[in-house]
Amino acid sequence: MNPSRRHPLSLDDFILSRRDFLTRTGMGFGWIGLAGLFGAGTPASAAPDRYVNPLAPREPHFAPKARRVIHLFMNGGPSHVDTFDPKPALGRYAGKLLPMENPKTERRTGAAMPSPYKFQPYGESGIEISEIFARTAERADDLCVIRSMHADVPNHEPSLLLMNCGEARLIRPAVGSWVTYGLGTENQNLPGFIVMCPGGYPIQESQNWQSAFLPGVFQGTYINTANVEIEKLIENVRNRYVSPGRQRRQLDLLMELNRQHQAAREEDPQLEARIQSFELAYRMQLEATDAFDVSREPAAIREMYGRGVQARQLLIARRLIERGVRFVQVWHGAGQPWDNHDDLEVNHRRLAGECDQAIAALLTDLKQRGLLEETLVIWGGEFGRTPTVELPQPGSNAGKINGRDHNHYGFSMWLAGGGVKGGYVHGATDEFGFAAAENKVHVHDLHATMLRLLGFDHERLTYRYAGRDFRLTDVHGRVVDDLLA
Amino acid sequence: MPKRSALKPLRRVEAIGRVVAALALAPVALPARGQAAADEPARQILESIRTLQADPEALERAIATLAWRLERLQAEAAASRTEEPSAPTPASAVARLRLELEGIERRLEALAQAIEALGQGRAAEIPSVAPPTTLSPADQRRPLEALMDVLRALAREAGAGVETLKVGPTPGVAAAAFPPEALEFFERRIRPILVEHCQSCHGPEKQKSGLRLDTREAVLRGGSMGPAVIPGDPPGSRLIQAVRHQGELKMPAEADPLPQEAIRALEDWVRIGLPWPAEGEPSVASEPPTAEAAIARARQTHWAFRPVRRPPVPAARDETWARTPIDSFIRARLEERGLEPSPPADRRTLIRRAYFDLIGLPPTAEEIRAFVEDPDPRAFEGVVDRLLASPRYGERWGRHWLDVARYADTKGYLFEEERAFAFSYTYRDYVIAAFNEDKPFDRFVIEQIAADLLPLGEDKTPLAALGFLTLGRRFLNNVHDITDDRIDVVTRGFLGLTVSCARCHDHKYDPIPSEDYYSLYGVFRGAVEPPEPPFLREPEPSPEYEAYQRELEEREAAYRTYRADRWVGVLAELRARVGDYLLAAHETLGLAEEDAFQAYARDRKLHPPAIRAWQKRLEAASETPHDPIWAPWRALAALPDDEFTTRAAPLAAALARNAEGDRPLNPLLARAFEGPPPASMKEVAERYGRLLTEADRHWAVMLQGQAQIAAQENAPTAEPPTALPDPAEEALRQVLYAADSPVNIRDGQLETYLDLETLAELRRRRTAIDRVKSTHPGRPPRAMALVEADKPFDPYVFVRGSPGNKGPEVPRRFLAVLSPGQRRPFERGSGRLELAEAIASQENPLTARVLVNRVWLLHFGRGLVDTPSDFGLRSEPPTHPELLDWLADAFVAGGWSLKRLHRLILLSAVYQQAGADRAAARAVDPENRLLWRFPRGRLDFEAMRDSLLQVAGVLDLKMGGPPVELTEPPFPTRRTVYGFVERQNLPALFRTFDFANPDAHSPQRFTTTVPQQALFLMNSSFVAELARKLAGREEARASATAGDRLRALYRLALSREPSEEELTSAARFILAQGWLGPPPPEPPPVWRYGYGEYDAEAKSLISFAPLPHFADGQWRGGPQMPDPTLGWLMLNRGGGHPGGDAAHAVIRRWVAPREAVVAVEGTLRHPSEQGDGVLAYVFSSREGELGRWAARNGETAAEVTRAEVRRGDTLDFIVGCGGDESFDNFQWAPTIRVIEERAAAAVIGAGEIEWNARAGFQGPPPPRPTPLDPWAELAQALLMTNEFMFVD
Repeated sequence: MNPSRRHPLSLDDFILSRRDFLTRTGMGFGWIGLAGLFGAGTPASAAPDRYVNPLAPREPHFAPKARRVIHLFMNGGPSHVDTFDPKPALGRYAGKLLPMENPKTERRTGAAMPSPYKFQPYGESGIEISEIFARTAERADDLCVIRSMHADVPNHEPSLLLMNCGEARLIRPAVGSWVTYGLGTENQNLPGFIVMCPGGYPIQESQNWQSAFLPGVFQGTYINTANVEIEKLIENVRNRYVSPGRQRRQLDLLMELNRQHQAAREEDPQLEARIQSFELAYRMQLEATDAFDVSREPAAIREMYGRGVQARQLLIARRLIERGVRFVQVWHGAGQPWDNHDDLEVNHRRLAGECDQAIAALLTDLKQRGLLEETLVIWGGEFGRTPTVELPQPGSNAGKINGRDHNHYGFSMWLAGGGVKGGYVHGATDEFGFAAAENKVHVHDLHATMLRLLGFDHERLTYRYAGRDFRLTDVHGRVVDDLLA
Repeated sequence: MPKRSALKPLRRVEAIGRVVAALALAPVALPARGQAAADEPARQILESIRTLQADPEALERAIATLAWRLERLQAEAAASRTEEPSAPTPASAVARLRLELEGIERRLEALAQAIEALGQGRAAEIPSVAPPTTLSPADQRRPLEALMDVLRALAREAGAGVETLKVGPTPGVAAAAFPPEALEFFERRIRPILVEHCQSCHGPEKQKSGLRLDTREAVLRGGSMGPAVIPGDPPGSRLIQAVRHQGELKMPAEADPLPQEAIRALEDWVRIGLPWPAEGEPSVASEPPTAEAAIARARQTHWAFRPVRRPPVPAARDETWARTPIDSFIRARLEERGLEPSPPADRRTLIRRAYFDLIGLPPTAEEIRAFVEDPDPRAFEGVVDRLLASPRYGERWGRHWLDVARYADTKGYLFEEERAFAFSYTYRDYVIAAFNEDKPFDRFVIEQIAADLLPLGEDKTPLAALGFLTLGRRFLNNVHDITDDRIDVVTRGFLGLTVSCARCHDHKYDPIPSEDYYSLYGVFRGAVEPPEPPFLREPEPSPEYEAYQRELEEREAAYRTYRADRWVGVLAELRARVGDYLLAAHETLGLAEEDAFQAYARDRKLHPPAIRAWQKRLEAASETPHDPIWAPWRALAALPDDEFTTRAAPLAAALARNAEGDRPLNPLLARAFEGPPPASMKEVAERYGRLLTEADRHWAVMLQGQAQIAAQENAPTAEPPTALPDPAEEALRQVLYAADSPVNIRDGQLETYLDLETLAELRRRRTAIDRVKSTHPGRPPRAMALVEADKPFDPYVFVRGSPGNKGPEVPRRFLAVLSPGQRRPFERGSGRLELAEAIASQENPLTARVLVNRVWLLHFGRGLVDTPSDFGLRSEPPTHPELLDWLADAFVAGGWSLKRLHRLILLSAVYQQAGADRAAARAVDPENRLLWRFPRGRLDFEAMRDSLLQVAGVLDLKMGGPPVELTEPPFPTRRTVYGFVERQNLPALFRTFDFANPDAHSPQRFTTTVPQQALFLMNSSFVAELARKLAGREEARASATAGDRLRALYRLALSREPSEEELTSAARFILAQGWLGPPPPEPPPVWRYGYGEYDAEAKSLISFAPLPHFADGQWRGGPQMPDPTLGWLMLNRGGGHPGGDAAHAVIRRWVAPREAVVAVEGTLRHPSEQGDGVLAYVFSSREGELGRWAARNGETAAEVTRAEVRRGDTLDFIVGCGGDESFDNFQWAPTIRVIEERAAAAVIGAGEIEWNARAGFQGPPPPRPTPLDPWAELAQALLMTNEFMFVD
C-alpha cells in the first residue's frame, strides 16, 4: 500500500539493487517461500546504471510539461503591491488607517502606504506590472502571475524553509533535492541541483537546499557567484599539479589497473560504476569550466543580460539549464536583500534594477532557444510585504517610516514556461493587498503544482524514512489546475 | 492418512486439516509441561492444539484464506510466465517444491501422530515423533502459524495448475478468531488504506451517509445505503464497486482513485471474510477503540514485540561446515533453498576484511604475510583478538555509534549565538573509550540517558555520555523541537521505534498512541542543561590551562566593567532627571494604554520601568499616614487640574509655614514652597527635583573630598562618609539612595534600561566569553550534561502537536507496547533513570535485537532486519528471525559484550566465506539475502581517508580532544573521527562521500558513486600531497632499482607484490610521463595591492611598492595595526586607509589581461563625520591621470568614461590623505568594464568583461604547488584504484 513502491525509484535502487522487489510488488508482503520462487527467475540486476548512479535520468509518473526548473529567489520578501499586484485603493487611504484591523505581522504597521511606483498594463494580456519591473513586464504574455499566494508565518526563517523545503521547522529535503531524486539529471558532468548566491549565504544558509534524509548527492551544490574563477565555483574541478595530458595518461593507467582488478572478479556494477565515475569526472573538468564561463557567450547576448552579478548568474543559469542541469536556484544575494523595512522606495527600485533586465533577457533567451517550453521559471520571495507602513520601534527600521513589514497573508509569485499558462493572472488579494482572497494558493499548492508540471503526482513522490513515507507536500498540497496551460 | 495421489492438493489439505482438527478436538489430557527449551516442539504442538480447541473454526478459516492465496499464487505464476519469458523455467522450483512437500508431509503426519499420542496419554513420545530436526526453524515460531505453514506448503504444489477448490468464507465469524496472517494482512495492507483514504469521512469524527469504516461491525452494518461489504463477495460489495468506480458511487470522493494495488487488496480482504482484529465496539461518537486493544494485539502478534527466546540451533544436513551456531541458522536457510555456502576466503582476503571491518585501516604487507604464513589453524582468532584489543577498534566502531547518535560539533542554525558546541568532543571520546573498554551495552544505554542520576563515585567521566541527548540540533532554541529530537534519537536509536511519528497524532501504523509520546516528552522536558557544564575531571595546571584562565578572566572583566559602567551611568541619569521622572509618574497615571505610556516615555527619552517604579513609590508614600517628604506631593497631586492654581496657593503657603507640630515636614521641602505658589504639577515636580539633585550633588562633593584626602600621602585613614551632615538633606538623599529607592535597579533588570547599541555590545562581550570557553585550546574538558529540573514536567498531550492545544494529562511512563502487565508511572523525579533502565532491561524485546542487527548490518552490509531503526509493524520481517533472536539472547547472556558479539560473528564460517559470485546461487537468491557468499563492500569516508593517510605514512594516531577542521589546509592527519562536523553547513566533501547526515539519527549510510568523489581523488591537494608522501616514503625511495621501487610502492599502497604485467604497465607509465610538460601556468592576478608616492601636480606616479602583509581581510604593513613603519595604511575589500603623507598613498592596481577599451565606475566615500577627507586619483600607465576626486565626510561619484588598455597595462586607484590622516577610512571599490573589444577578442569571447574591486579582492594567492613527479602520479593512481577502495 505504499504508492512509492510503484514509482520507478526507491532508495534500494541506489544502494542495494532490487531488494524484495517482487515480494513487495507482487503480494504486498512476503508469503513464506514465495519470494524465492519468483526471485529465482530474474537476473541480478536489470539496470546496473540505476543501481549505483542516483543521478541517472529517470521518467516521472506522467508525461512532464517541464523538464528543468530555474527558481529566481528574491530573498527577504519583495513587496507584491509594488511589483505585480497593483492596489489603487491604497492611494485613497494614503496616510490613513485602513478600514480594517491590520493583520498581525512581525512588527506593528500603521496607515496605508500607496506604492510609490506607477503600474501599467503590458502585452496582449494587459497584466498590470510596476515600472520597476518594466523590462520583465515586456514578457507579460509569458508570465503566469499568482497574486494569491499565502504562507504560514511572517518570519524569514520558517518561511524560507517552507518555500524551499515544504516545512517550516523540521529537517526536510529541498524542492530541488526532491526533483533530482525523482528525475535524476540529464548531464552527468555537472551537478543536478545547483544553487547560486552572490557574496555568501541567505538566512538559514545551506538548509535552504538541504537533502535532509535523502542521499547527500541530492543536496544543492552551492556556488558563490561573486567569484568568477571556476575553481572557486566547483570544488576540485582543476588540477594544479599536472598537465591535462599527464592526467589523461594517469587515468588511462588507472583504467588499466582497474580492469586487471575486475578481470579476477565477476561483473559487479559497483566496480564498473566507479571506473566510469573517473571518466565522468575527467569530462566534468572541461564541461563545468565551460558552463560557468559566460565570456564564451557572444557579445550581443551578454549585452542583452546587462551588467552586474545578477546578469552573470542568470546567464550562467541558462547555460546550465541548456546543458541539462535539472534544478537551478538563483538567489538575489547574501542575507535578505529584499527585506526593506525602511527606505522601500529607493531599495526596491535598486534591487529590481539589478535584476529586471537580466530576468527579461533570460525569458527571451530561453524562448529563442526553444528552452522555455520545457523550463519552468519561478520568481518570488518567501513572502510579501504589508500594504501598510511599518511603525518605528526599537530594533526595526532605523526609526524611518517609509518601509513595509513582512506579510505572509498574501503575496505574488510568477511562473513562466514549463507548461504554465502565459499572460494569465491567478487569484487576487483583498482590496488593499493584505491577504490572499480569491483562489488562494498556499506554498504547498505551489509545490504540488510544480511537481505536476514536472510529471509527478505529489502524493506519490515519496521516500520512506524513519518509519513513514515522506513527501514534499507532507499531508497538504493540491494541484492548481488553472495554472496549467 | 489418505494417500497423496488420491486427492487433489487442496482437498487433501482440507482432509488432513480435518483430521488434525478432529484429533485436536478430542478430549485430550494435556500434560502440564514443556517450558524447557528441549521440550519446545512438544510445547508448541500442545499450544497448537489448545488454540484449535479454543476455536474450532480457526482451521476452517485458515483453509479459506489458503484457498484465496492459492488463487493469487496461480495468477502470479501465470503472469510471471508471460511477462518474463527469459526467466528460468520453474522446473527447478517445482523440483524443490516437491522435496519440500515430502518434508511437509512427514511433519504433518508427525503432528497427527503427536496429537493421537497425546490423546492416548503417551505424551512422552512426542519429542521423538516430532524432533526439532523435522520441524524447520520457520515451524517453531508460532504454533498456529506453524500449522498454517504446513498447510500452505501442501497447497503450494497446486500452483502447477490443478483445479482449485472454492472454499467460501464464513461471514460474520467472531473477529478475534482470524488467523494471525490474515490479521497481519489487514494491519499491513488494509488498515492503512482505511486510515488514509476512508476514515476522514467515515470514521469517528464524520460519518458521511451514516457509514463508518473503523470497525468490522460497522463495515458490515453499513450506512444509509446498506451494508458496505458482503463478506466473500467482492463484486457484490458496495465498497468494492465504489473504489472501482463502477456505478454512481465513486470513492474516495474528490480525490484520485485508489491505486490498483490497493483496490486488489481490498477485494482480497472482502474475499477472505473481512479479517479484522478483535476490538471493542466503539460507543457512538466516543474514542475509536484503538489504543489498548491494538497495543495488546501487536505485543502478541508482531515478531519484534514478542519476548526474545533462545531458539534451538537447527541441525543442517552438512554439519561439517558450521563453526558457530550462527552458521547452523544460515546453513539451514540455505539448504531450504537448495543452496551451498561459498568456500572459505583465502587468508589475504580474510585479514584485509577483518582489518577494515574492526579498525577501519588496511593491514600492512608484513601483517598479511605473517598471517598467511602462520601454520596455526586458529591464527585468525589471534588476528581478531588483536584487532579487538587495539584502540583503533574504538575509533572505528565508536564512529558507527556516532551515526546513531547524530553526532555533530555545532548546534545548527542560530541567529547570533555561538554555534559551536564547546564539549561535544567529550561525548565522542566517551563513546570511543566505551567501545575500547567493552563497556556492557546495557550500562552504555543507561549512561547515555541518565548518567547524572547514577551513583558515579569519583569517576565523573560517564557524565560525558549525556551528550547523546544534548548534542542535537537546537532549532533556534525551540524547546519542543529539541525535546522531539531527543525522543527520536532515543527511540529510533535504541528501540528501533519511530515514536516521533506520534507527536501530532497516534502513530499511523505502530501501536504508539500520542499519549506515549507525551509521556516521554515529560521525561525529557524534566531535564535541563546546567548553566555551567560540569568538569569531567578537575583541571590540572598547565601553561595552556593558565593561558585559558587568563584570557577568560580578561574577557569576563571586560564584560563586568562595561556592564557596571553602564549601570552607574543609568543610575546617574535617573538621579539627574528625578524631577522629570516625578512629573512623568504623575502624568502617566491616567494613561490606560500601554502603547500610549510607551510613547510618552519614548518622546521624553525616559526609561519606562523607572517611571513605573516612581509610581509605585508615590503610591506607597500616599498610603503612609504622614510622610515628611511626600505629604505635600500627595496633597498637591490630589488637586483637580482646573482648580490647581486657585487651590495650590493656600496649600503652598501652609506647607511653607510647616506649622503643624505633630506632622512636621522636611524643613528643606517646606522652604521650597516659600515664595510664589506652584502653577502646576510640573512646577511641583521641578521643585522636588531641584531639592533631590541638590542633595545628590552635595553627596558627590563630599565623596570627592574624601577621596582627595585619602589620595594624599600620610593622610589619616578616614571612614568613608555614611550620611550628609544635615539630617533634612540626608533624608532627601535617602530618597535616591535607599535600598527601596526607585533609582535602584536590581540585577537582572538592568537590560530593560539599556539601549539597543549597548545591549548589542553586551552581547558581543558575552559571546567573546563563550567563545573562549568553547574554543580556547586550554579549556578543561566538561560534560555536555543534563540535570533534573527543579520540578518534573507534568506532561499533557499537545493536540495535533501544538503546544497551545492542551489535551489530556498523561503520566511520565514507558511505552505501552513494551510494558506488559500493569504499567506504572515513573516514580523517581522526571523518570529518566527509570526510562533508561526499562530500555536497557533484558526483558525489553527490542534493545538487544536492534543492537545485534546493527552490528550484523555493519559486518555484512545489510541487516537481518532491513530497516535497522524501524522494527515496527510495517518493517520487513527478519530474513533469519531465529538467528536474530539467538544472537540477541547470546548477546545478553554474554553480559551485553560487543567484543564477544564481534568475535562470535567473525569466527563464523559465514563471515569467512569467499566473496566470489556463483551464477547458480545468484539465480536463486540474487541479492544474497541468505548469505551464500560474503558481500563486497566499499570503504566509507572515514576508512578511505584514514587509509590514504596511513599508506602515505603520515597518519597521526593521537586520540581524543577537540575536533580538527579536516577540509582546510594545512590538512590535519588525525583520524577522520576527530574531524570537526559542522551540522549547519556540512562541507561538500563529507556529503560527497555519503557521510551520515548529522541532523538526525542515521540508521544506515548510503553508498553512492558520483564523479565528485573521483574529482577529490584526482585533483584535491589533500590527495596529491599524500601521493607525493607515499612516493617519497623511505621504504620506496631507498630501493636499489626502479623495479624495486615499484614493488615497494605496491607493497605500501596495496599491501602486496605487483604482478609482472603490472610492473610493466607501471614502468611504461613512469618512463613516458617524463616527456610531458608541467601544468599550464596560472593566470597572473588581476588586482594588486600597494602604496607609493603620487605627484599630484606633475600628475605622475613616483613609486609603487606592494603591501607586504595580509591579515584580517586587509593588505597592510605588518601583523600589528598600526604598523611601526606604515602606520594605519591598508587596503581591504571595499576601501582602505591611506598613510600620513604624500609618499604613502594607498594604491589598488588593476592589470589589464587583454587589449580593450574600458570605463571605470564607482563611488568614493569618506564616511566619517570628522577629519579633513581623502584625495583620490585614477592613473593609467598608458594615458596618465584619468581623473581626480576629493571626498570629505561624504561621497562623490568617481568615474572614467573611457580608457584604452593593452595587455599588461595598469590602472592605479590611488588614495592619499587630505593633509591629516585622522579619520581617513575610505570606501572605494571601483568597477572596470569593457566597453569596446579590440581585435579577435570581440568575436571569440575573450574572458571576463567586468572586474569589480570588491568581488575580485584577494589575499595572497596560495603558493603554486610543486608539480607531481611521475612516481607520485603513479602512487596517486594506486590510491585511486578499485582495489584500494573495495573490500572483498
